[in-house]
Amino acid sequence: MTRREKILQYLQSHSGTASTGLTTNEIAQALDILRSNVSKELNNLVRQQLVYKLKGRPVHYLPVTATKAVANTTMADHPQLEQAPTIGFAGQAKINSFPTTEYDNRNVFDKMVGSHASLKSQVEQAKAALLYPPHGLNTLIIGPTGSGKTYFANTMYRFARAEGLIKDQEFATFNCADYAHNPQLLMSHLFGYVKGAFTGADEDKPGLIEQAAGGILFLDEVHRLPPEGQEMIFYFMDHGTYNRLGETAKTHHADVRLICATTENPESALLQTFVRRIPILIQLPPFNQRTPKEKLQLLEQLLTLEANRIHKNIRLNEDVVQALLGSVTYGNVGQLKSNIQLVCAQGFLNSIQDENEIILKFEQLPTNIKDGLSNLAGNREELGKLTRLLEPTMLIKPDAQRDVPQIDSYELPYNLYEVIGDKAALLKDEGLDQATINNFIMTDINLHLKSFYHQGQFNKAEDRLNEIVDQEIIDLTKQIQHFLRQQQYPVRENFIYAMSLHISSFIKRVQAGKPLREVSANLISLVHDYPAELKMAGQVKELIGKHYHIPIPESEVYYLAVLLASLQLAPKTGKVGIVVAAHGKSTATSMSQVVSQLLSVNNIAAFDMPLEMSPKSALLGIAQQVKKVDQGNGVLLLVDMGSLSTFSEKLTDMTNIQVKTIDMVTTAMVLEAARKTALIDSDLQTVSHELQEFDGYSRTPSGYENKPSVTETANETATDQRHKAIVAICSTGQGTAQKIKNMLDKLLIDNLIEDVSVIPISIVNMKERLKQIQQEYQIIATTGVTKPDIAAPFISLESLLQGGSEAFINMIDQLSGEDQSALMMLEDSPQVAEQLAEKYLGQYFTFINPAKIIKVLDSYCDFVERRQQLTLKNSFKLSLIMHLAGAIERCLTHSQMHVEQKQIAKLQNNQLFQIITQANDILRETLNLSLTAAETYYIYQLIDTEIQK
Amino acid sequence: MPMDIRLLRIDSRLLHGQVTTNWAKVTKVSRILVVSDEAAHNAIRRTLMFQAAPPGIKVNVMPVAKMLSIYCDPRFDFFRVLILVERPRDAQRLIAGGLKVSKVNIGALSFDSSRVMVTDTIAVNQEDVLAFKWMHQHGIQLDVRKVSGDNSKDLWKYLKDKKLI
Repeated sequence: MTRREKILQYLQSHSGTASTGLTTNEIAQALDILRSNVSKELNNLVRQQLVYKLKGRPVHYLPVTATKAVANTTMADHPQLEQAPTIGFAGQAKINSFPTTEYDNRNVFDKMVGSHASLKSQVEQAKAALLYPPHGLNTLIIGPTGSGKTYFANTMYRFARAEGLIKDQEFATFNCADYAHNPQLLMSHLFGYVKGAFTGADEDKPGLIEQAAGGILFLDEVHRLPPEGQEMIFYFMDHGTYNRLGETAKTHHADVRLICATTENPESALLQTFVRRIPILIQLPPFNQRTPKEKLQLLEQLLTLEANRIHKNIRLNEDVVQALLGSVTYGNVGQLKSNIQLVCAQGFLNSIQDENEIILKFEQLPTNIKDGLSNLAGNREELGKLTRLLEPTMLIKPDAQRDVPQIDSYELPYNLYEVIGDKAALLKDEGLDQATINNFIMTDINLHLKSFYHQGQFNKAEDRLNEIVDQEIIDLTKQIQHFLRQQQYPVRENFIYAMSLHISSFIKRVQAGKPLREVSANLISLVHDYPAELKMAGQVKELIGKHYHIPIPESEVYYLAVLLASLQLAPKTGKVGIVVAAHGKSTATSMSQVVSQLLSVNNIAAFDMPLEMSPKSALLGIAQQVKKVDQGNGVLLLVDMGSLSTFSEKLTDMTNIQVKTIDMVTTAMVLEAARKTALIDSDLQTVSHELQEFDGYSRTPSGYENKPSVTETANETATDQRHKAIVAICSTGQGTAQKIKNMLDKLLIDNLIEDVSVIPISIVNMKERLKQIQQEYQIIATTGVTKPDIAAPFISLESLLQGGSEAFINMIDQLSGEDQSALMMLEDSPQVAEQLAEKYLGQYFTFINPAKIIKVLDSYCDFVERRQQLTLKNSFKLSLIMHLAGAIERCLTHSQMHVEQKQIAKLQNNQLFQIITQANDILRETLNLSLTAAETYYIYQLIDTEIQK
Repeated sequence: MPMDIRLLRIDSRLLHGQVTTNWAKVTKVSRILVVSDEAAHNAIRRTLMFQAAPPGIKVNVMPVAKMLSIYCDPRFDFFRVLILVERPRDAQRLIAGGLKVSKVNIGALSFDSSRVMVTDTIAVNQEDVLAFKWMHQHGIQLDVRKVSGDNSKDLWKYLKDKKLI
């Protein structure tokens, strides 16, 4: 019996004669099922119309049979039951209601937003795939993150069910990313195993394929299937047979229709042999390519979902609708869904006293969503179309029939509104005022919902984490994270890194039989201040012990508690934002564009001020940009001149964001500012102070050269003679911190930085230890699980692991800023490159005249670029020009290079080689010089090496 | 074991086509160390060196003193490198500072008014000759080759023929 059936049965047998029903808690306790799971199942049952929800809090549930037996009345006659849900705009008198049966069984695709517009051909493809005799065709759905792949697959399933194409069974789904690191486990999940196939295989177990026989199996994130997994699947596609793990012959047979989904380009992310076996490729459009009408329908649909959960109407004004639609950037419908959940949770909290309705107000929206309005305003045409569709106010009413299946990854595993309601009630009992309660709970909501925003980059970072921690430990840590969230214990994003590193070093210690760490009095007194963490730590300890079947010493609880506490204390790792404001139509924009491309940073905004713009409107415009880039750590305003430099205070007043202004902005300064703020958690004060002293990398090419030692010696005498150090912090000083040390040591050596030590320390006695270290060392940076209170930049664990190592080195290596600036100048300015080429030609060659030859060599480069259809970087052109000059000089002195004939022979049919041979004609025609085949060979090698990069 | 120096080459142009397309490949190094006080302090030259790095090979640019300091540091022992210097004098400083090599490869030394041509591509002045003399006296072979496939010629012989020593 499934969990759902159990719950239904319990409800039916215990709801008794009265129409009072049971609460989620009562059921959870009686059946010993987690409350959140009960809540989820109950909602599903409501949706299937097997159970009714009664109004009021806590919510009571009543089985449909009971209501029929007791009252034998229609819903409308039963005032306690919730209204038949519908949707409509405010002012619309009549509510559309559809007869349930008809609505459900008609073509399920019709309910999908856009099925007759931007998804028309996709829907036709899907139908064709399913209806193709005899067993349909396998399908691959391609679409960016959050574009609705799972939803589409699910709709295909329901279509197949409604048309009787498949057997009456559940929709089997499998996310390949879950087992991407363990092909054996993956195989056993898909194909099942026989008893004795591996340790722990105590009985035969069927796999998903077997369970899905006669139905549909959905493989999500199929690009995460390792190649061997793809091969196993395509063998199955070809033959319909497979073996369970531990069997030798492929004796099992199953008819399964496969629907796969991926965010990646199948050409590169999947085996071609695999893709060839999937005849139907369905491409889903990103959100911004949907029509305005569809966007609005999607918004309504998603809002209705929330209305169904809250059991209240949701009212929102035009500007909120626009902000929500505009807030969707890279994350498509999924992001819209998350954003809607966020604002609804907030609205729910703000209107908790109102029985019937929640109101979403623009002023109350979080900043990133408010910004949606300005995002949208940027696209006039789109905004115009949308506005024509909008009413001043939108009213969404609950409507069970407009529900969409909740199986996607944007769905929280519990009912957020119940959690909020319960928590608010609890806090109120404690005598807190409404403002405090709201504040408190909003923090929580943000934490819960933030996970979506980090999904994309998170996976990448996890891969990196995977290099230093076993996947098993990462999985365990995720379980712990999940557990803590269930316990309503807030967990930040840095949790996975810090905790898995901690567990990993602990387990290694145990396995190596090393003595256990002792608990100092200091540690005990430190933990004493964190009772909640101590309690959670005890439970985390149990989880770890249960997973590894080893007793965990009591002392570990203290270390875990310290870890949890320090993770809570960890500051927001928001970067300092940068706004560039300058006079002129595009000066500021182009400066910031160059820099953000060069360093791929996202904390820069620009504000252009045409000369006729009034200071007042400039101030307003800049304020908007300041809000846009603020991540909670203040904003640096870089201005060119005049009235702008007095803006700091006014801006701080207007935006409540700390703003520091620096005058006389140059591209080099923006670059330096970006470098100093990128990925590194340095504060506004420090950055602005350092920038004020920045006198620019020199601005002419000659200034870049031979400008040594002045600054260097000055620095050396000015700064202290102490050795440089980076401090890594973890709860013990031996686990995570030691691992970070190993990683950083490697990084430092790889970058030939030999004069920086990495010192691992423990949180216990951290302050004293830091003081000690500072006597001997100059601390240039800190990293780890918590940010100490010293004047050095802090790099968070996650940014370090997410490829922040490069930024880290940039920070330590003072020259890298100059390099970036030099590169930018070189690549941006053909004049600089030509000037350099001429100079070097004169310096390194004896017989050629630079001024005369440079144009010839330029046209040689152009010819190759044009014919080979590539764009050569200026720096490479410079190398090529120098090499060509060398070839010409060798030709003049009859000292050409040599190469074996067979090497040249190999290239005779090579396209690039032929193009170069043709380019040589330019030299023959202008200089009357013929390059030998060997010289041509070396030119080919040089260009080919560059292309390979 | 100090770091594995696969090639020490003197070439005025430091890292350029002949090194990227030939030497970097045949010596199978994982890293090219460009040792020049001048280039280390010149952002443009540094950047050009980084940009000219063959795929998969790291390039570092540093002054002579730093090269000697990392050569003596056991943490860098696992490096497998090709070292480029632009002047005979720098090669001499490295070897005098402790670098163990049995030969030095000479690519091109560019001509200027203080120098005389001794081969098609190698021009020397008094300082260069002294440096080569010092290396010769310390048993270092002076191997003249543009690329690895060329026949090796002995620079000492050219210098003698030109009566520079």
